[in-house]
Amino acid sequence: MTSNPFHIDPQRAQAEVDAFRRKLEAGLETLKHVGPIELGTTPREAVYREDKLTLWHFKGEKPPTAKTPLLICYALVNTPWMVDLQEDRSMVRNLLAQGEDVYLIDWGYPDGADRWLTLEDYIDGYMDRCVDVLRKRHGIDAVNLLGICQGGVFSLCYTALHAEKVRNLVTMVTPVDFHTPDNMLSHWVRNVDIDLFVDAIGNVPADLMNFAYLTLKPVRLNQQKYVGLVDILDNPKEVENFLRMEKWIFDSPDQAGEAFREFARDFFQKNLLMKGEARIGARQVDLKKITQPVLNIYAEQDHLVPPAASTPMKRVVGSKDYTALAFQGGHIGIYVSGRAQKQVPPAIHAWLEKR
Amino acid sequence: MSDKPNDFIDQYQAWVREGLQTWSRQFDPKAASPGAGSSEAVPGDIMGRLFAGLAGYGDWMRSMASGESPAAPFGAGMPPCGQGGVGMPPFMQGGVGMPPYGQGGAEFLSMGMPPFGYGPPPGATAQPGSESFDEWARVANETLSMPAFGLNREQQEEQQALLRAWIDYAGHYQRYQTLLQGVYERAGETLRGQTPPGDAESMRSVYDRWVTLVEESYAQAALSAEFREVYASLVNAQMRLKVLQQSQLERVSVQAGMPTRKEVDSLGERLQAVRRELRQMHGLAAEVEALKAEVAALRAGTGKPKPAKAAPAAAVKKAAAKSVKRPPRGKSP
Repeated sequence: MTSNPFHIDPQRAQAEVDAFRRKLEAGLETLKHVGPIELGTTPREAVYREDKLTLWHFKGEKPPTAKTPLLICYALVNTPWMVDLQEDRSMVRNLLAQGEDVYLIDWGYPDGADRWLTLEDYIDGYMDRCVDVLRKRHGIDAVNLLGICQGGVFSLCYTALHAEKVRNLVTMVTPVDFHTPDNMLSHWVRNVDIDLFVDAIGNVPADLMNFAYLTLKPVRLNQQKYVGLVDILDNPKEVENFLRMEKWIFDSPDQAGEAFREFARDFFQKNLLMKGEARIGARQVDLKKITQPVLNIYAEQDHLVPPAASTPMKRVVGSKDYTALAFQGGHIGIYVSGRAQKQVPPAIHAWLEKR
Repeated sequence: MSDKPNDFIDQYQAWVREGLQTWSRQFDPKAASPGAGSSEAVPGDIMGRLFAGLAGYGDWMRSMASGESPAAPFGAGMPPCGQGGVGMPPFMQGGVGMPPYGQGGAEFLSMGMPPFGYGPPPGATAQPGSESFDEWARVANETLSMPAFGLNREQQEEQQALLRAWIDYAGHYQRYQTLLQGVYERAGETLRGQTPPGDAESMRSVYDRWVTLVEESYAQAALSAEFREVYASLVNAQMRLKVLQQSQLERVSVQAGMPTRKEVDSLGERLQAVRRELRQMHGLAAEVEALKAEVAALRAGTGKPKPAKAAPAAAVKKAAAKSVKRPPRGKSP
C-alpha cells in the first residue's frame, strides 16, 4: 500500500489558490447583479384549467406544419419547465421550430386538498380530459403523446387504456422494469412500508423528494457541484444558467399522498407494469394493447432511470412499430444539453412525420 | 509531504473562512450599504449551498494536507428521509455539511419542530451506538414495558410506546450511520492504495479523484442488500415514531378544541369523492344532452344526427371555455 498517493507541487497549488480567489472575487460582483431567474421562456397560453392543472399551448415563430398536436405529459415530480428551461435550451422551442404543434400538461402544486388524488384521478381523469380538449380543439380522434419519466409511465398506462385516443406514442427516459439491479431508488424503496409512510406524512413534501434524489450521489450533488460553481462565477451567463437549473431542481411540487402510495407500491415495489398486472382504478393495464407506433428515447448515462429499466419496453408493448433511440447523456442532459437540442427534437419530429 | 503545502492549506482555509464571512456580510440585508445592489436577486438558498460546498471542500483540503481523516462525506449523518442527528427526527434536524436540510432548509425545519415526542429521551445521557446507551436502552425498554394504571392510563401507554419507538429508531439510525462510515473508510483505503501520478496534479484534481472514489464506494454500498434492509428499517422506524407523535398531538388538539389532522384528512377524502362524483355526473349529463339532441334530430328528420360519442368532447370544450376564463396564474409569460 502506498502511504502518500498524492503528488502536489506547492507552487502550482499556490497559483491554483490565487486563481480560485480571483474567481470568487469576480463571482461576488456577478452574483450581486444576477436578475430574477425565470423558467419557461416560450410564449404560451392556457387552453384548459382544472383544479391545480393547466394545459398550455405553445406558440412558435411560424405556424405548425404537423396536423396532429403533440401533447407532452411530464412527471409529477419537479415542474415541467425542464422542457423549456431557457431560450437556447428548450426542447419545446425546438419542437415548434420543427413544425410540431406542442401542448404541455402542467400538473401544478398539489396541496392538502389533493391528498387523496389517485393515479386514476390523474390518468383517467386529468390526463384524459386534456386529451379530449385537444381532440375537440383540432377536430381529430387521436393525439400524439410524449411522456417524460413518470409522465412516460402515465402515457403508457393511458395509451393502453385509451388506445383510440393516441395516434403515436413517444416516451423519454421512461422506466418499465423497475427492478433492474442498477436502479438505486427502486432498491431503496423496496422494503419500505409505503402504507405506513403515506399514512404518516400524507402528501410527500418536495423537499423530501429532493433530498432523496440528492442522496443518490451525495458528495457530487451536495458539495462538488458547488465547488465547481466557483469556476464559472466570473461568467454571468453561466451563473444564470446554473441558477436556472438550481431553481428547477428545487422548485418542486409535493406529491399527492394516494398517487404516491400507488406508484411506489405498484410500480417501484411490485413492478406490476412489467408483469402486466398494474391497475389504474379497476382496470388492468395491458401494455400489449399499445399497438400504435412507439418511439422510446432513453439516456445512456441516466442514474435515475437506467437504460436497462427502459429498454424492456420493446418486449412488453404490443406495437410492431417500435423504435428505440439511445442518447449519450444523463436524465437531465437529454433535455438541456447542446447535443440534445440538436438531436432529440429533430429525431422526434422526423419519426412523427413518417407516421 | 512537505510543510509548505500545509502552510498554504492553512492560509487557504483562513482565507476561505474570511471570504465566506465577507460574503455573508455582503448578503446580509442589515449590513448591506444603500445602493449596493439588490440581494433579492441572489437566492439565499444558493448562497447557503455554495458556502456549504466550499466549506466541505476546504475541510477536505485541510484533512488531506494534515493527514488526518476528513469528516465523513455525509456530514453528521444522512438518514433516508432527511438530515438527522442523534435523537432528532430526520425531518426536523439540520446539520453541518449537508446543504439541503442543513442550510437552506433550516427555517423550514425549525418551523415544523413539534412540541414534544422527539429529541433525546429523558434520562438518556449516552450517544446511540455506545455500550452505555445500549445498557440504558435495555433498562428503559424494560421499564417502558410495565403496565400503566389509573385515570391517565391511556396517555401513559402512549408515552411509553413513543419512547420505545424512539429507542428503536435510535438503533436503526446507528446501523445506518455505521454503513455510511464504512463507505468513507473504503474510499479512503482505496485512495491511499493508489500510486501517485508521475506529474504533479492540481488540488482540484485530487479532490475530484476523492469524490469519485467516495461516490463509487457509496454506490456499491447503496445497492447492497444490507443497505436496502437498513434503509427501509430506518424509514419504517421513523414513520412509526411519527405516527405515535401525531397520536399525541391529536389528543392535545382535541383538548384544545382544535381540528385534528385525522379530521382534516377525513374531510379531504370526502371532498375528493365528491369531486369524482361531480365529474361523473357532468359526463352523464353531457351524454344525456347528446342523446336528447340525437332524438330531437331524428324526430325532426332534419338530417343525420350527431353520434353520441361526440357529446363528452363538447362538454369538455364547454368546461374548458369556462375554466380558461379564470385569471391566469403567475408563471404565464
